[in-house]
Amino acid sequence: MIRLRDLFAVVILFGIYSLMTAALFMDLDAVDVAFTEAAVGAGITTVLMLSTLRLTSRWENSPAHSPVLPLVVVSITGAALIYATLDAPLLGDPAAPAHQHVAPRYIQQGPVEVGMPNMVTAVLASYRGYDTFGETFVIFTAGIAVLLLLGIRQPQPHPRPRRAAIGDQIVLRVVVKLLIPLILLYALYVQIHGDYGAGGGFQAGVIFATGLVLYDLVFGEDCARLVVPAPWLPRLASLGVLLYGGVGIVSLLSGRPFLDYSALSHDPVHGQHMGVLLVELGVGITVFSIILAIYYALSGRKVRV
Amino acid sequence: MLLAAIVAVLITMVLALIRAFLGPTEYDRMLAANAFGTKTVLLIALGGFALSWNSFLDVALLYALVNFVGTIAVMRFFEYSRPEDESGDVEDIR
Repeated sequence: MIRLRDLFAVVILFGIYSLMTAALFMDLDAVDVAFTEAAVGAGITTVLMLSTLRLTSRWENSPAHSPVLPLVVVSITGAALIYATLDAPLLGDPAAPAHQHVAPRYIQQGPVEVGMPNMVTAVLASYRGYDTFGETFVIFTAGIAVLLLLGIRQPQPHPRPRRAAIGDQIVLRVVVKLLIPLILLYALYVQIHGDYGAGGGFQAGVIFATGLVLYDLVFGEDCARLVVPAPWLPRLASLGVLLYGGVGIVSLLSGRPFLDYSALSHDPVHGQHMGVLLVELGVGITVFSIILAIYYALSGRKVRV
Repeated sequence: MLLAAIVAVLITMVLALIRAFLGPTEYDRMLAANAFGTKTVLLIALGGFALSWNSFLDVALLYALVNFVGTIAVMRFFEYSRPEDESGDVEDIR
């Protein structure tokens, strides 16, 4: 039962695993992380993996070598990791180094310096602006690499299903038509409300792309391309990264360190708000266009027969 | 009362998980994953209420969306998958 050769079942179980992980994050009070896990792990990843399965094969080949050596390597690594956790401080231990290094400063000075109710956004976009810039660049690079490998082609006509195609279901069409504006609105809410509640650019970009992917899935393969043409996407992705970097350049030109948003306005806290909003917008645009581009690249390819 | 509801939802989640593992046909697995997702939405909403943290409702909303999109994607996958990939039981249900 543990060894599944059916990759479709693996994809479904992977989605369930992702939902479970998000439940775990929820239990740890990490709402923002649960948000990301739900949007990326359970949502868009399932769609992308199913698109890949459509292009390759549903059944995994039998491995050519015996599983003993990988099993030994994995067991030793796992045992070493478990041994290492024995020295780690207990979960939630207030004396743990992770809680003593910079966290107290973020908690005490964050509301004064950045002035945001959601501390996660303050740390992610302002204090750790460099790291987030790097993450955005990683997404950008990964997306460009996928596009170079696959390329966005003109969609191939799919073989017409025999009967009862999904695009013909009138209930589904009406429900999806009603849902898509709400999904896009929700994505904008997540984008802009990130300062106050859970959310931010990463999650909002994924949700916005999910709305268009849903449109494409229900109404046929090239509908979304009429809304957001494929040639826009690499440019949009670059625009997002440029927006993020541009905010940093502006603060550099004002004589402050790179990505110090206090330079953006006369009032430092107001400048921080503006900077975080702009930076999150850049992240959102990049994530949205890269995910949609990968989806286009996968769905536009012809199935090998 | 709240605790009882949470425990009940958790038990349903385990049952759905068992069905996802055993499921003889794809439709059982799909339905199990869908039910699991719905129960997770409920669990998050209940948990958010128990911890009185309103942000959890946003997450629950997102889960409902994700679940819906996932189900549509799976159905599309079956529609487009090549005939030789479809096993006999899929044909029977159609």
